[in-house]
Amino acid sequence: MSGNVETGLGPRTRRLLAGWAWVVFAFLYVPIAVLVVFSFNASSRVNIWGGFSFQWYGEALNNEVITSAIRVSLIVAAVSTAVSVVLGTAVALALDRYRFKGRRALDGTIYLPIVIPDITMAVMLLVFFAEAFKFIDSFGPRFTLGISTIALSHIAFNISFVCVVVRARLDQFDRTLEEAARDLYATGWQTFRRVTLPLIMPGIAAGGLLALTLSLDDVVISAFVAGPGSTTLPVYVFSSIRRGVTPELNAISTLMLAASIALVLGSLALQRRRASASQQTQVL
Amino acid sequence: MQPANRTSESTPASGEKAAAQAQRRQGMLLASPGALYLLIFFVAPLALISVYSFATRTSTGRTSLSGWNVESYRAIGDDVIVGIIGRSAWLATLTTALCLAVGYPFAYYLATRPRHVRAILLVLVMIPFWTNGLVRVFAIRFLLGSNGPASALSENLGFGTFRILFTPTAVTIGMVYSFLTFMVLPLYVSLERMDWSLTEAARDLYASGSKAFWKVTLPLTKSGIVAGSVLVFVPSFGSYVVPDILGGAKTLLIGSYIARQFRDARNYPLGAALSVLLIVAMLVAVALNQRSGSGAEGGDRPRRRRRGRARAEPEPAAVS
Amino acid sequence: MTGAVAAVEIDGVTKRFGEVVAVDNVDLAIDDGEFFALLGPSGCGKTTTLRMIAGLDLPTEGSLRIFGEEVGMAPPDLRPVNTVFQAYALFPHMTVRQNIEFGLRMRRVKDPELSQRVAEATGMVRLSGMEDRRPDQLSGGQQQRVALARALVNQPKVLLLDEPLGALDLKLRQEMQQELKALQRTVGITFVFVTHDQEEALAMSERIGVMSEGRLLQVGTPREIYERPASRFVADFIGRTNLLEATVESAGTVRLANGARIEAETSLPAGSEVSVSLRPERARLHPRGTADAEGSSLEGEVRDITYLGHAVVYEVAVGPMSVEVRVEGETGRPFGSGDDVTISWDHGAAAVVAD
Repeated sequence: MSGNVETGLGPRTRRLLAGWAWVVFAFLYVPIAVLVVFSFNASSRVNIWGGFSFQWYGEALNNEVITSAIRVSLIVAAVSTAVSVVLGTAVALALDRYRFKGRRALDGTIYLPIVIPDITMAVMLLVFFAEAFKFIDSFGPRFTLGISTIALSHIAFNISFVCVVVRARLDQFDRTLEEAARDLYATGWQTFRRVTLPLIMPGIAAGGLLALTLSLDDVVISAFVAGPGSTTLPVYVFSSIRRGVTPELNAISTLMLAASIALVLGSLALQRRRASASQQTQVL
Repeated sequence: MQPANRTSESTPASGEKAAAQAQRRQGMLLASPGALYLLIFFVAPLALISVYSFATRTSTGRTSLSGWNVESYRAIGDDVIVGIIGRSAWLATLTTALCLAVGYPFAYYLATRPRHVRAILLVLVMIPFWTNGLVRVFAIRFLLGSNGPASALSENLGFGTFRILFTPTAVTIGMVYSFLTFMVLPLYVSLERMDWSLTEAARDLYASGSKAFWKVTLPLTKSGIVAGSVLVFVPSFGSYVVPDILGGAKTLLIGSYIARQFRDARNYPLGAALSVLLIVAMLVAVALNQRSGSGAEGGDRPRRRRRGRARAEPEPAAVS
Repeated sequence: MTGAVAAVEIDGVTKRFGEVVAVDNVDLAIDDGEFFALLGPSGCGKTTTLRMIAGLDLPTEGSLRIFGEEVGMAPPDLRPVNTVFQAYALFPHMTVRQNIEFGLRMRRVKDPELSQRVAEATGMVRLSGMEDRRPDQLSGGQQQRVALARALVNQPKVLLLDEPLGALDLKLRQEMQQELKALQRTVGITFVFVTHDQEEALAMSERIGVMSEGRLLQVGTPREIYERPASRFVADFIGRTNLLEATVESAGTVRLANGARIEAETSLPAGSEVSVSLRPERARLHPRGTADAEGSSLEGEVRDITYLGHAVVYEVAVGPMSVEVRVEGETGRPFGSGDDVTISWDHGAAAVVAD
């Protein structure tokens, strides 16, 4: 059913719609494209094209602060993704197929970190870590804000996102497949390992990818729980932008952009291989 | 994993009870690491900020937990803060309305393309959706800057330089740019699910093209409109990064104002009270969305089921 | 057909979707007050033809008139026809009443006429009392009735029905067949309905148009279509039949592939390759050598027997050909596998069809 009379539109309306769609695509892509183009600008003045150059990439990657921020970002992303995938999947499984004490409370709480604005989550965690350190310090060891507090904070919101995505997958899971496995002499664990897990794997992968993206994207929460000498890349970029636009920032931004796009395309390729079209929209 | 099937060894009655108990135990075991984590790193901070909102700010900028009071909540009634909240709500509403106006025809176009074209266009929407948000805001900052490319272009065209950076307009553009895809995707989903034979039926029953749209298409995509609006309104209301990068002193929004209380102003109790307010507002918005969303779903489901059956009937001639 | 102007007149209409020709140069006139069926397998273009009458698809070529008025390019809301959609297309966000009054409201019909007509239509399809329900609270049969009422309340000059009974189960479908026929007699307007079910078409319609691959192959009464199929496709598609390859010898005889010469009327020139269509129930079976002298006959051997209760179907090998014979209410000793038999039929029972 392609759009003919059946969608109820005349030819003029349809032409307008098509035109509008391309205007919106331009709106979405032109700013990014301009940023990318100017990251290769040889001139240090941001509004004048001075020829093609990789100069700013070189300078950015030679900057000790930036490379350290990249390292922190990657470590935090890897750790928080790994932990939240395990914990989030376990919670999703528990909520989907078990009844236990506190199930309803957990079911309600799990959505909160998704709904709450970043800034409130950030100040909550800031206050929490400050109080917790005050408490722990009284026993001797001294903790400070740093890479570990960033990772702990990222896990706190990523568990929820992983859980929601995996649960969506579990929702459409055909339980008779597990019954079939049991009928064919598989034990409970074998059934999980050989049937359940492979079938919900795309959901787990999608959840992990989302966690990775969110961790790499986060500015606000990281900015509040980061300590001196341990900022993530987005936090560095954020604070630099406040000081002004530099060609170096363009270069870093382009790198972050490339990483994001690689992740999207990678995930789409993964889904195309694994899931049907309807599940795609479900996961995204 | 499958406790219900572990009953074979024992007598039916006690076996069933034991199995139920085992199931409870297993569920708890599975959930507890994640639940414990959330308890420590989410519920406790949430409780703490609520406690802080009743605390007192000492003259040195510290927070005193002795002597609970509602001073901070009373302070929210202050003209300045009311103004900030009002501006935030207004900007979030404006952003939502603009996203809807821009996004609906766009999503309509996407959803009515042939299947293979749709898949490609959807990827083109997914890319900005998943792209680093900060970078996207920076792109707008770079583009609109007083010595940026847009200004240079306008100067070369003879319109002179323009200054919209650090104005509410810039913040609005940045918010729409940041959150447009949040609106487009739910709209797309509801439009893609739309049964176009219903618009045909409306046309057959003497509705003009636009009447058919207003009476049939629009009401049937209400769930997408509501979901998209919540997804845009919630983050724009609490937005911190966008106004911080694109806004000026005149566009102080509640997100930035809260941040300020925990940084320079060091008025934790006020910041905490505002945070609690923001959280409650978001929860209300989401709850409203879920209520209306589930109502629309109820109307959707049987129709989809029937359409599925109709598809099984032969006669692809009409489809081709 | 009659002297009066046709309800629907399709003139050289072709519809192309890109490369695909969905409807190929169709000419058709449907009379006022007629119950007309468009019959064909999936993808034959019958639904597209119906949609062009409704205005939901526009013809690529040709002209289309409704009661003499050219409407080929008119939008659906400006045509005096209404459609009962395949899966009914009831508005899920409206009640039964809102669904039924939709068309009247669009045409700005006001109370009291509005409520009077809605009440009439609701009563006609026996849905009184259900006006405030939503479509998803109705059974399939009830939804069907709402769809009918929603169309008929507008008093269209022609009612179009796209596989109206397709989504119903067998029993309900048979009930609705009778009800639809009765309804058409009551309202007296032209019904054009699309179906892929040949029995439904035979049972319900006054005339049938058989379509295949976008072409209209034959138009006629159910009896004409069944007894005198114009082509091999029509003979094969309507009911069961034996299609025996043959060559025309003269105006009254054809020679079958096995050499047997049989009598059959044909206007095709001698030497034409044709098929002889012999309905299984029109053939008789005899022990070899006891056939009546009248009519035509073939000799063969019983190969397979299917017992159906009210009938027995014999598959008889006649040289390289296989002929199905259906014996209803069998009396006497049944035949067994391997029996030598003679198949006979009355003059005129077999039809010659062009390939």
